[in-house]
Amino acid sequence: MASDSEGKTFDRETLLDLVVNAIPLGIILFFILAFALINPFGSNPVNTAIQFSIMAVTGAALLVLTYVSGKAISEAEDELEEKGLELSEEAGAGEVAEPESEPTPETTDGDDEPAA
Amino acid sequence: MVGEQLALTALMGVFLVAVAGFLARMEDWRSYTPLAGGSAIGDAGYGGHAEKPAGIVRWFTTVDHKDIGILYGIYALIAFFWGGAAVLLMRAELAAPGFDIMQAQFYNSLLTSHGITMLFLFGTPIIAAFSNYFIPLLIGADDMAFPRINAIAFWLLPPGAILIWAGFFTAPLGLGIDPAQTSWTMYTPLSAEQANPGVDLMLLGLHLTGVSATMGAINFIATIFTERGDEVNWANLDIFSWTILTQSALILFAFPLLGSALIMLLLDRNFSTAFFAVEGGSPILWQHLFWFFGHPEVYILVLPPMGLVSWILPKFSGRKLFGFKFVVYSTLAIGVLSFGVWAHHMFSTGIDPRIRASFMAVSLAIAIPSAVKTFNWITTMWNGNLRLTAPMLFCIGFISNFVIGGITGVFLAAIPVDLVLHDTYYVVGHFHYIVMGMIAFAGMGALYYWFPIVTGRMYQRRLAKMHFWLSMIGTNITFFAMLVLGYLGMPRRYATYQFDGAIAPLAQVTTLHQIATVGAFIIGFAQLIWAWNMVQSWYEGPELDDADPWNLKDDGMFGREFQWFETQKLAADGGESEEVRADGGEVETDGGEATGRVSSDPRSDGGYRKAVRRVDDE
Ligand code: HEM
Ligand SMILES: [Cu+2]
Repeated sequence: MASDSEGKTFDRETLLDLVVNAIPLGIILFFILAFALINPFGSNPVNTAIQFSIMAVTGAALLVLTYVSGKAISEAEDELEEKGLELSEEAGAGEVAEPESEPTPETTDGDDEPAA
Repeated sequence: MVGEQLALTALMGVFLVAVAGFLARMEDWRSYTPLAGGSAIGDAGYGGHAEKPAGIVRWFTTVDHKDIGILYGIYALIAFFWGGAAVLLMRAELAAPGFDIMQAQFYNSLLTSHGITMLFLFGTPIIAAFSNYFIPLLIGADDMAFPRINAIAFWLLPPGAILIWAGFFTAPLGLGIDPAQTSWTMYTPLSAEQANPGVDLMLLGLHLTGVSATMGAINFIATIFTERGDEVNWANLDIFSWTILTQSALILFAFPLLGSALIMLLLDRNFSTAFFAVEGGSPILWQHLFWFFGHPEVYILVLPPMGLVSWILPKFSGRKLFGFKFVVYSTLAIGVLSFGVWAHHMFSTGIDPRIRASFMAVSLAIAIPSAVKTFNWITTMWNGNLRLTAPMLFCIGFISNFVIGGITGVFLAAIPVDLVLHDTYYVVGHFHYIVMGMIAFAGMGALYYWFPIVTGRMYQRRLAKMHFWLSMIGTNITFFAMLVLGYLGMPRRYATYQFDGAIAPLAQVTTLHQIATVGAFIIGFAQLIWAWNMVQSWYEGPELDDADPWNLKDDGMFGREFQWFETQKLAADGGESEEVRADGGEVETDGGEATGRVSSDPRSDGGYRKAVRRVDDE
């Protein structure tokens, strides 16, 4: 993990990881806008409200969960760093493990992923 | 006639009791001794499970998560064979257009039983088998948070299965209790109006399995949150545990709703309420309730297999999972979004077009996190040291099948396309690419991957590869033919297809149905090979001589569950074997490598991997 991440929960790394969930969110926002602009079926208070709330509620729930989990994971990373423990999935339970690999290949790999 | 059958039933009862008595008395029933927690090895005491009763009683009283995992597994596999037998009969019937070997009622019964069995009695339990056995090991917990609830949750399942299948057993008795013919979706008014009490039994059985799944989910959430070892936190929690956590949350929100809807349906059937009556709450209400559960259910079934593949694939690619956190976040995203898409199953029901459009929007959005995972798996393999062991083959097959299954899903999520393809074999092809091509494949891959831990032995590799290739070929023959059948307009859920040539080209449809039938029998044959391999290897397979049958240490990929296995194995062997010490101890790096490798050679998959690896080592 970047050393400048101390004290900052949503550093660059974390934000880049969260991009993956921004895409479905973007798609939902796109449709919200599209359906607001293009409305071939007319409006009706009840059905239009349901129409937009399905997208808005699902999108909002996604936003909240992404925020909460991003925060939890990022804080947990700082904690591991402090304890000098490994970030890898394989580490942990057994003493037998030899942590020969570099600490966080995941995050560095992940950043190369094209956002599209 | 009736008397005769009663006598036969009584005789069967006596026979079963006798068998049960015999089994209970067989003292060394447990020729299978799990390395940990078995009462045979006193010092391998694990958690509170050091003492277990001998004989079959042990299996009825166990609260050890590993034993319960094995029970779930055996249960799921029995269900798999029931569901498989049902579908082979159906495919045989569909080999020709007319009614040839059965009537429509029996076909419908098989269809219903196949769907419900595969989803609720095979799919959910096979996942629970892996999660019960391995989640505590992967997170460094002593056991599940609530071991007794864990046992109760499992023991609700066998009565559930008996109730769900009850109609098949009671039909020959002439009591008027026939198997349900509602299909797995149990759409009203059909399911409310069928007078057959077999339907009620099935609904009650489903309710039990739902309670069981909910109890299991609560247990997993509590376990993953509170029972993690000191060194495991959210940042290094493994991917399989993440998917089980998400799955459990989905179960918690989805299954109680199914339970309530089932109760309402039972009330409609037996107490003249009108929740789902045409002139009451309307049949569309049932569809909303059912699919609000039903769509999350499909992700309940597919997320943990995705976790299994994300866990196993890197082990045989020699690289860490690419973009680990992308996979975690997209898992969570799928979990949330799956609650906003349910009406894509109802596009053609005439619901309000504005609302329908919103469901299309969210359904298209959910395809992104699914696709992200696919790219992560492919990138993990890219330039990796691939070792084509049986578990790895199943993982690769899984990805390949997901490409087709996922993309056909995106097409179906587009309203105009769905209006054409809804209720055709295209839909059947779509979801079978996923349920067979992914869920069953990941399950098989994981069974092979963890077979050494559970049994202490190795399976037969040649048979495992035959199993894979036949399954892969069979799956793609069968379900691709179904996609084409769908394009030709063949409707789903029919026992015959003697229609007018103006509807669809009968000759092609017949050929494609025959192709699908052949494919289905290939799949069936493959599973027989697999069953033989499992049973034979469990008893007679070569015993492992170290705790690293997959040579994971070479790549720094020795996971927590194998680390645990190693400590158990060392404790059990008491260090008597030279070889175990060689691998478990220090010698393992370069010095002891040469001899270690030679001796482990027969263990590596057919020696194939060595060749690949050497090239990369240079
Ligand atoms: C890429 C994401 C997916 C999308 C966009 C999608 C979309 C759809 C749509 C629109 C239908 C309704 C077709 C119709 O009846 O006209 C459908 C049916 C179905 N899908 Fe998917 N799907 C996806 C993934 C999955 C997954 C992962 C599973 C299973 C684990 C699954 C299982 C099913 C099942 C079981 C049905 C049929 C239900 C029935 O009517 O009996 N789908 N899918
Ligand atoms: Cu769906």
